[in-house]
Amino acid sequence: MAQDLKTDQSGYMLMNKPDYPRVSTFPNLVWVILLMMLFITVLLWAVSFVANAPLEEMSEWAKTPNPAKAPWYFIGLQELLVYFDPWIAGVMIPNQLITGLILIPYVDVSPTIQGRYAWEGRKFAISVFTFGAIMWFALIVVGQFLRGPSWQVYWPIIDYDIGGHGWVREGMPLKQGITKLKSMSMGAGATLILGYSFFGMVLPLVIPKMFPKAKLTRALKGYLDVLGPIKYFVVQSHILMILGVLGKIILRLGFNVKYILETPWFKI
Amino acid sequence: MSEKPEEKSGIGKTLDFLAGLLTSNPIYKSIFRVGWPNTVLKRMAVMRSSFYMHIFPTKVGKHGLKLKYCWCMGGIVFFLFLLLTITGILLMFYYIPDENRAFQDMKDLQFMVPFGVILRNMHRWAAHGMVFTVMLHMMRVFYTGSYKPPRQFNWAVGVLLLLVTFLLSFTGYLLPWDQLGFWAVTVGTNMASSTPVIGYEGPFHELLGVQIDNDIRFALIGGTRIGANALVRAYVWHCVGLPLILTAMMVFHFWRIRKDGFSGPM
Ligand code: HEM
Repeated sequence: MAQDLKTDQSGYMLMNKPDYPRVSTFPNLVWVILLMMLFITVLLWAVSFVANAPLEEMSEWAKTPNPAKAPWYFIGLQELLVYFDPWIAGVMIPNQLITGLILIPYVDVSPTIQGRYAWEGRKFAISVFTFGAIMWFALIVVGQFLRGPSWQVYWPIIDYDIGGHGWVREGMPLKQGITKLKSMSMGAGATLILGYSFFGMVLPLVIPKMFPKAKLTRALKGYLDVLGPIKYFVVQSHILMILGVLGKIILRLGFNVKYILETPWFKI
Repeated sequence: MSEKPEEKSGIGKTLDFLAGLLTSNPIYKSIFRVGWPNTVLKRMAVMRSSFYMHIFPTKVGKHGLKLKYCWCMGGIVFFLFLLLTITGILLMFYYIPDENRAFQDMKDLQFMVPFGVILRNMHRWAAHGMVFTVMLHMMRVFYTGSYKPPRQFNWAVGVLLLLVTFLLSFTGYLLPWDQLGFWAVTVGTNMASSTPVIGYEGPFHELLGVQIDNDIRFALIGGTRIGANALVRAYVWHCVGLPLILTAMMVFHFWRIRKDGFSGPM
């Protein structure tokens, strides 16, 4: 893909054509900005009049609150601690998120579909991004609103007994505190992870060969052709990691799996 | 370029007369290099010849002005940053990052300082607002496909802006020195101790002989638990280090928007 855009891509940007509808910045955009500033200032002021910033009692390191929650924008990662060891939830996943986001423009295959909302031609990219965004916000909502003492699920509205850990009742939804978790055996775990990575990488390449006539095949083949091997590897490994996080959540909640793979050095 | 004369009502004529009085005197002209911008040419000149306005192009595509296209979101993020800078400087007058004073200063803001409560509230809510709007801004850039060539690198810079915005908000969280911030930051920084190799609880930490008192978390908080050193570090990052980094990156972000051109349909 040619990158010299001064001569090539932006050359046919509609906006750069002489007859494209344009207006002078002053006063049109200046008005928008002025009104936006007024609106935000008034809104912030109004909110600050009715809602006070929280201030709890003075910090005391011997008095750990239960639960101790991270700020809301990091709480999704804290929520992942239920499913992963901290080196994955707090270090690997955020790093993968940042690199994944940065890489988006560099693995993009439809450079000309831009400057407008379009679903055609970007179905795959939009689906992946939206899926990730939903997961991010869902984890935040669960961590912020549904987690109580000992990071147990507390549903809103339901009236819980006060006091200690004794709140867990018979037949409570998601009694994580008392369900027994088991880890998978070394062999099963290693097979699962290797198999998942291998088939995850290879299946999208093989399926078109197996069903050469299916409608999806044509779309997939077209996509793979523009992507090329390197970009395919990058994209697919990120997708496998996103789905892997979801997979571990399902294994944990549905099958009480603590670790898929337990080695003396690290646990997944 | 010829301007077609407009039919003006009585009020319009009066306003023009007043504007003329206001803008044709030597003092106005010494400040604003172009006179009253009442023609297309002057309107373009007023953008080009003004130090602050020069950040904008002289003309903009009509589609970009629409709220449904850009949501004004990047601008709102930046404006919130400005409000945070102003309220933040005022807060610094009343706040000392000392283990024994910080919390009392919060109480003083609440009960002694005139408008202290409103000042603190504005800073707090604007901070949450900035974190939230920066996410929305990223989503609008994604869904309009505005990160595509030639703007790939500006998107990458944007992702780092997102990260620095999170860190700014996070470091500020500790400063009130109350239970809420103290434990939130404890939880957050504890994660750093599990970094592979350089965190004392992370996998492979033995490789470099990393322990609790020489790992990455120790470097961040200046101790083995959140204490006086962590407070000063959070304060310095929050009030000096990260704002400088964010400003430098935003300047670059804006410069690239002008150089790449604002996005539009191809
Ligand atoms: C401190 C944070 C940020 C500030 C102050 C900021 C500010 C702005 C402003 C004022 C614009 C002009 C258009 C608009 O208002 O939408 C813009 C455009 C843009 N921003 Fe940001 N931004 C920030 C973070 C981000 C992030 C997190 C991303 C993406 C990951 C990003 C990517 C972009 C791109 C690619 C454009 C060009 C869009 C176009 O031409 O349509 N920015 N930014």
